[in-house]
Amino acid sequence: MILDRLAREVEALIFASDEPLSIQQLSEFTGSGEDSIQQALERLNTSFLDQQHALTVVDVAGGFRIVTDGEFGSVVSQLFEGKKPGKLSRAALETLAVVAYSQPCTRMTIESIRGVNCDSAIRTLLERDMIRIGGRMETPGRPLLYSTTKAFLEYFGLSNLDHLPRFDEVEELLGMSSAEIEKRDLFGSEEE
Amino acid sequence: MIEKKIYSRSCRIELDDFEGPLDLLLYLIRRDEIDIYDIPVAHVADQYLKYIREARELDLDIASEYLVMAATLTKMKSRSLLPTHRFDGEEDSDPGTELRRQLILYRTFRSIAEELQRNEETWTDIYTSPGERQRWSDDTAEIEPGQASLLDLLRALSSLSEEEAELAPHRIRRTLLTINECINTLDKNIVTGRTIPFGAIVGPEPTRSRIVSYFITLLELIRRGWVYCHQAYPFSEIEIQRTERWNVDS
Repeated sequence: MILDRLAREVEALIFASDEPLSIQQLSEFTGSGEDSIQQALERLNTSFLDQQHALTVVDVAGGFRIVTDGEFGSVVSQLFEGKKPGKLSRAALETLAVVAYSQPCTRMTIESIRGVNCDSAIRTLLERDMIRIGGRMETPGRPLLYSTTKAFLEYFGLSNLDHLPRFDEVEELLGMSSAEIEKRDLFGSEEE
Repeated sequence: MIEKKIYSRSCRIELDDFEGPLDLLLYLIRRDEIDIYDIPVAHVADQYLKYIREARELDLDIASEYLVMAATLTKMKSRSLLPTHRFDGEEDSDPGTELRRQLILYRTFRSIAEELQRNEETWTDIYTSPGERQRWSDDTAEIEPGQASLLDLLRALSSLSEEEAELAPHRIRRTLLTINECINTLDKNIVTGRTIPFGAIVGPEPTRSRIVSYFITLLELIRRGWVYCHQAYPFSEIEIQRTERWNVDS
């Protein structure tokens, strides 16, 4: 299969970009409609697949990126030896989960849900650029407010915040009072 | 399956395995196959306290959060054992409600954290071009106005103070003028039979330490009887004359 001009332009743009490119941006740069971009992306991925490339186009952090297949993780990781940060701890992941769903939120919110002090987890996440300080809450003490970053979406391969696991359900759960939660257990059947 | 494994060594699990009191409580609830909506407060409180006691016997550091939960559970247990007085119009408040809410919320986020971990596992092997290379390289990418956070500022500040620490400290040396050096200098400059003013000895624009050194030297010379000094009136010039004794003694 020979790729058409548009698909190759899209490929070039995504390859050269620092940041994920959105459909809108791709459409603007190529002068083609968003529908044709969507189709071009599909053709591009088909061609990657057909010719057994080590690359795929994915929808991540609000745009498209060309990424390597997970299969080549160990080979590619050699490039970043000593630079690539380690995996996040359970404490950091739990903290991040709370921030992701309740952002912007204060340290108090996180700690009331986790039931433990979260200072060091928050510090780690700030250093790893997974969360950022988005401002202060205008309440006594003016506590700092934390939000997730674009790097967070990229790190977990999420296209946007709506694509967080079980987003709607958790949003609903957070808004419920104790009594309402009594009536409904979303994860009661959870078996692991 | 994992549950079984934990169960078999349950007596010796350390608190470090838990992410806080809620995590420990959820573990106990699951272990004893308790329905989260129908928690037998007395039983759970006993189990929890037993755990904390064991950890204490092992001399482990127990974070204060665990103790707060122990107190809360004890209070709940005592309330559940007392007969409840119900007044008209007042609803029977269940002390377990808030705890249940906390447990359910925490359990939700804990399971989401697990999902995120699975994503992390997948995406750690996936690389993009060239964004990550920039992020992981030592020189940071250019920052657009408004993109820098408070943390960036603090980082910049701390890196600045580190640089400062690397600078070699500037040493200020004090030039010392010993009495003996002064005597040697004067020996050459004061000639027998000639009078020399103190101002000429210290030279034009002398430093304070030079004046003091030479003055002390002068006192020493007077004590030894090597010079004869004359001052017409207070604060006037001191005239110095060499005595014969200087030549004899040295």
